[in-house]
Amino acid sequence: MRLPRPAAPLWVLLPALVLLPLLLLLPAISHGGGWGLVGDFAAAALRPSLEPLVLGSALEGLAITVAMALLGWAASLGLGLLLGVASSQLVWHTCGGVAWPAQLIRRLLALPRSIHELIWGLALLQLLGLQPLVAVLAIAIPFAALVARVVSDQLDALPVAALEGLRSAGARPAAALLTALGPPLLPQLLSYGGYRLECALRSATLLGVFGLGGLGTELRLTLQSLAFRELWTGLWLLLVAMLLLEQLLGGLRRRWAMPERLNLGRASVGHRGRELLLAGLALIPLLVILGWWIGIAPASDWRWQPLPPLAAADWPAVAALPWARLVGNTVLMTLLAAALAVGLAPLLLLLAQPWGWTRWLLQGLWALGRLWPPPLTALLLLFVLQPGVLTGALALGFHNLGVLGRLLLESNDHGQRGAEQALSCAGTGPRMALLYGRFSGLARPYLAYGAYRTDVILRESVVVGLVGATGLGSQLMEALSAFATDELLALLLAYALLTLVGEELSDRLRRQLRGGARPLSPGPAAATALPLLQG
Amino acid sequence: MADHGLERALLELRAIAVPGRRRPRLQGVSLVLRPGERVALLGPSGAGKSTLLAVANGLIPPSQGSVHWLGEPRGLTPHRLRRQQARIGTLWQDLRLVEELTVQQNLNAGRLAVWGWPRAVLNLLLPLDTEACTAALQRLDLDPQLLGQPVSALSGGQRQRVALARLLRQEALLLLADEPLASLDPRLADGLLDLLLAEAAAPRGLLLSLHRPDLAHRFDRVLGLRDGQLLFDLSPQQLERQQLAALYAGGAGP
Repeated sequence: MRLPRPAAPLWVLLPALVLLPLLLLLPAISHGGGWGLVGDFAAAALRPSLEPLVLGSALEGLAITVAMALLGWAASLGLGLLLGVASSQLVWHTCGGVAWPAQLIRRLLALPRSIHELIWGLALLQLLGLQPLVAVLAIAIPFAALVARVVSDQLDALPVAALEGLRSAGARPAAALLTALGPPLLPQLLSYGGYRLECALRSATLLGVFGLGGLGTELRLTLQSLAFRELWTGLWLLLVAMLLLEQLLGGLRRRWAMPERLNLGRASVGHRGRELLLAGLALIPLLVILGWWIGIAPASDWRWQPLPPLAAADWPAVAALPWARLVGNTVLMTLLAAALAVGLAPLLLLLAQPWGWTRWLLQGLWALGRLWPPPLTALLLLFVLQPGVLTGALALGFHNLGVLGRLLLESNDHGQRGAEQALSCAGTGPRMALLYGRFSGLARPYLAYGAYRTDVILRESVVVGLVGATGLGSQLMEALSAFATDELLALLLAYALLTLVGEELSDRLRRQLRGGARPLSPGPAAATALPLLQG
Repeated sequence: MADHGLERALLELRAIAVPGRRRPRLQGVSLVLRPGERVALLGPSGAGKSTLLAVANGLIPPSQGSVHWLGEPRGLTPHRLRRQQARIGTLWQDLRLVEELTVQQNLNAGRLAVWGWPRAVLNLLLPLDTEACTAALQRLDLDPQLLGQPVSALSGGQRQRVALARLLRQEALLLLADEPLASLDPRLADGLLDLLLAEAAAPRGLLLSLHRPDLAHRFDRVLGLRDGQLLFDLSPQQLERQQLAALYAGGAGP
């Protein structure tokens, strides 16, 4: 008897097997007390409060959130570009003849990158006090490090023939670099930058949930005071803003001939260059006005808050923390959430086939998942579930399902459909044709992206720390609010190490999945594009 | 169509029209294909040969006219359409095998129209129906050792035969082939044509699009398609030189 060996189409569905133990465990952790509240919450979706006062404050909150996202995003893009150029081996090689400073800067940037924007936000909150600048910085710092990595990766992967040609013709290093590498880099950077803006909006909302202002704060307050109708006012507004932004960016991508997210081949901006420049210039006064409006005043903002007197470090107590359990829970929660998100997206796609209204239902569900910050989901789940790893994993899983599902649907729409068509012309039902004809080719690029996403979820696991008992995240929250600096430092270091190890593992897995991809698979470009899908 | 003999037609097209962007892709095309008939479809590129085959296998629903399968009108519900399509096998120009799956899994994919979910999923886990798959391969002179290989590892000629073996597994009554000889060297092309003609004995039938009039004599009937309209429907003996000249005259269009 030969052992069963799952074929490619089943790979993408295997992670969904995690549903079985999950469904068995759910009754054990549910306390059933809050089903009435959940019902009220769902019912309120159809009757959001339209009172001028509520609407006005939600609109203002949204404007603040968008402003924070825009400012943080713009700062991260500028800073990231500089740091990316500074950490490119090619640039150092061309300008100075040595490559080691690039490596050094790259290593140093791993630290800000491995720390989630929420931790940056909460730490800066303690140092600078509550002001809009905190949220902007919290977004800008880790995002800049991410952008820098992508920029330097891209720069070092570009073909150098044009550069060598210019150099040997006597061009100065800076001019040669700009001429040879600027044009091929620009479309990639624009496409990636647009995607980062979507991430920035999600992050700004999330930071608000933790009290850093804007719509997120309103959402959390209304949820905690059980004012569901007011809560939905904010949520619907946020949904509209998010979908508008996604549509706008998608439209710009097409207009400026930028590569799609799962298809980042070579493309040039072409004759739209002037339009692009104008758009960039128009952004600057907008950013200044927004900054002034939400009250960022660089001169007065840089005043450190007086910190409470620090207790002497108690390292033995720190060492006595249950490290194994903390790390174990964090990893367990990450893997659960990743399996849920990665496995459920194709499973739901399969169940929703053939398309019709089910497609709209799926898109709606996924939009809600992207929109809804995981800590809010976690709070909502607490109405019916006990706090813990499972609750955190469900909240993280739902959010990432939204991100993965959208990507899967996009690549499904743009991929080749020959094999699927052939099967359905031979009388195969639409679901089986999708499974055999499409999932076979999608399996490798999709799972490679899933591996990358797992890495993101690990970093993100801190945001559900507030529902308690979820490992490093909740311990970190406690240390932050208790000003336990020694514990905080140790936890941050542990978190950073864990995420760096996770990044390395997911990189390896991705390389393996990529290595086996056949040259004509529906997403050959997808594999090369994956490093660009950070966030 | 009782005057065509006692045997029921496999496929019948009545006054089919398919609109196109500038001019109709098909216009008033009628034809009857009976069991055992091997029919070649000739015509310049752009004449509508692929469209005609796509109407025959149900990929494109015609805007006018009707399609009949074994005397029944083409299925109006998705379920009935699929039941009819299960007996129509298409050899695609690009073959459309599932590259990531093994030869055996690809052959069994021909059974998906009649299989339920348990077998469809099991086929992705275990080698199923090895005997039937071996028989299909042997009939096409392929080594049964290939069953466990992924399709992506096969040579061009092997892939073509595996695609044909999938049609045998499908137990198709009507074989459709869209310029199957186009990208093959002469030796491979002759071999494949022999196989196709041999497999199309009654109760099966074959409709094959072709751009090599020199091979017309090997078929029972020859159809000439130009600008979406049927110019002739004759036995190869009746086919005259000036008819062929008119078919290909002046390039692709008027």
